[in-house]
Amino acid sequence: MPALVVENLHVHYGAIHAVRGVSFTVESGEIVSIVGSNGAGKSTIMWTLARVVPLTGGTILLEGAPLPDLPHLVVERGVALVPERRRLFSALSVRENLVMGAYNRKDPAGAARDMERCFTLFPILKQRLAQLAGTLSGGEQQMLAISRALMSSPRVLLLDEPSLGLAPMIVETLMETILKIRDEGMTVLLVEQNAAQALDISDRGYIMETGRIVKSGTGRELSDDPDIRRVYLGG
Amino acid sequence: MFLQTLVTGLSIGGIYALMAVGYSLVFSVLGFSNFAHGAVIMLGAYLGLALAVKLHLGIGLVLVGSIVGSGILAVMNERLAYSVLRRRKAPSLYLMISAMGCSVFLENLVYATIGSRFYAFPEFFSRQVVQFAGSSLSLLDLAAFIVAFLAILALHVFVTRTKTGIAIRAGVCDMTMCSLMGVNVDRLIMVVFLLAGAFAGVAGVFLGVKYLVYPTMGWVTNKAYIAAVIGGLGSLPGALVGGLILGVVETFVSTYVSSVMRDVFSFTLLIALLVWMPNGLFGSDTEEKV
Repeated sequence: MPALVVENLHVHYGAIHAVRGVSFTVESGEIVSIVGSNGAGKSTIMWTLARVVPLTGGTILLEGAPLPDLPHLVVERGVALVPERRRLFSALSVRENLVMGAYNRKDPAGAARDMERCFTLFPILKQRLAQLAGTLSGGEQQMLAISRALMSSPRVLLLDEPSLGLAPMIVETLMETILKIRDEGMTVLLVEQNAAQALDISDRGYIMETGRIVKSGTGRELSDDPDIRRVYLGG
Repeated sequence: MFLQTLVTGLSIGGIYALMAVGYSLVFSVLGFSNFAHGAVIMLGAYLGLALAVKLHLGIGLVLVGSIVGSGILAVMNERLAYSVLRRRKAPSLYLMISAMGCSVFLENLVYATIGSRFYAFPEFFSRQVVQFAGSSLSLLDLAAFIVAFLAILALHVFVTRTKTGIAIRAGVCDMTMCSLMGVNVDRLIMVVFLLAGAFAGVAGVFLGVKYLVYPTMGWVTNKAYIAAVIGGLGSLPGALVGGLILGVVETFVSTYVSSVMRDVFSFTLLIALLVWMPNGLFGSDTEEKV
């Protein structure tokens, strides 16, 4: 059964029709990326999936059942969003950010295990536990944002522009980590402007332009497509 | 004389701090100045008064009753007047105007039902004094300061050590992300108002015992508002320190300069502070990295 099925999704911001009939599927255990330029509506889709932005049409199925319509219920159903620009609780310590990630969990032992798993993925966080999240470097903040999302023990991870503002080398490590997380059984929906690196690790991808999906295929097909190479991959 | 003045100042400051905490909590979570807070304090004082006069309860039970009653009142205030605006994502200015409306409504409700009479609490311990280092200190003043300090300490422990408390601080940073952590925002805001109301209950009883109970007694919260701004609106240690500074400065000015000059001094202090430290003493302006 697919982890996520989005059918004919429409989102309006007042008079602006930001997402115009988008449909896509994410199979369980896949990394699927949505690639497109600034303002294409990618982040809007992510916020809609998190139920922060209301949809104006269409359906979203999570593991075959309708997605609950309040953000805190979406988390309970196993979907976690790492938003664009990370949105950490900057005045809270690294540890408190992780504790917040596990807010709804009723298994403290499992939460403790997941915290250890985050330290395995990102060892630097363990040294930063008492530090305020706002004082971390950009790369460390992204690691914390992903860890915070993992702390809810999600089955579907929504990553919105994780590479934004990071040095190329850190982006590379980050992409490897996303692969590692997937290999541990996670389903990942990735939204990126950094098309080359996103398609590189994706099983499948969708290209978005002004609120519509204009092309889809496997990660390889899309990165080999001459049109896409010209527009998104710089030749 | 000096010590006595200092203790009086600290007790007034403690009461300011209790009231400032209520302002700070709501401001930091919802981003508006809840001017109905003064009215909740006033109703808390009336409730305490009723418990003391009609049921002849002692100060402890009067405090408990007022804490519970004011807490429920504050939650009802939010449910009836703010939650609808909040869900429609109304600008915080509208919430503030609604709060002012609530304040006027509640004051006039008291005028219309209880009347404009000034009431005094029965003497709990206002005449008792303790001799210390050659000064006679009022037991009421000591109690007000100690209770205020302990209450704020307890709140500090709550927001740093418990999951709900950490969630409140997370909500202060980013309420949307807080809901994405699985926090039920409506319930969290209810807890915030419950806490603000509980502090209003304590402040109301001490204000009533120290001075008198009357419909516009909540206006003294203007001072608490100044205290909250001095400390840094939204900061807990700020509310405590701001309240204590204001209380002590005011008392020293009244005692050693002139009581007429008291408010001139507090407002000058506020303006000067806003010029030099717009975020207050403990206000933060951490920016997120892009």
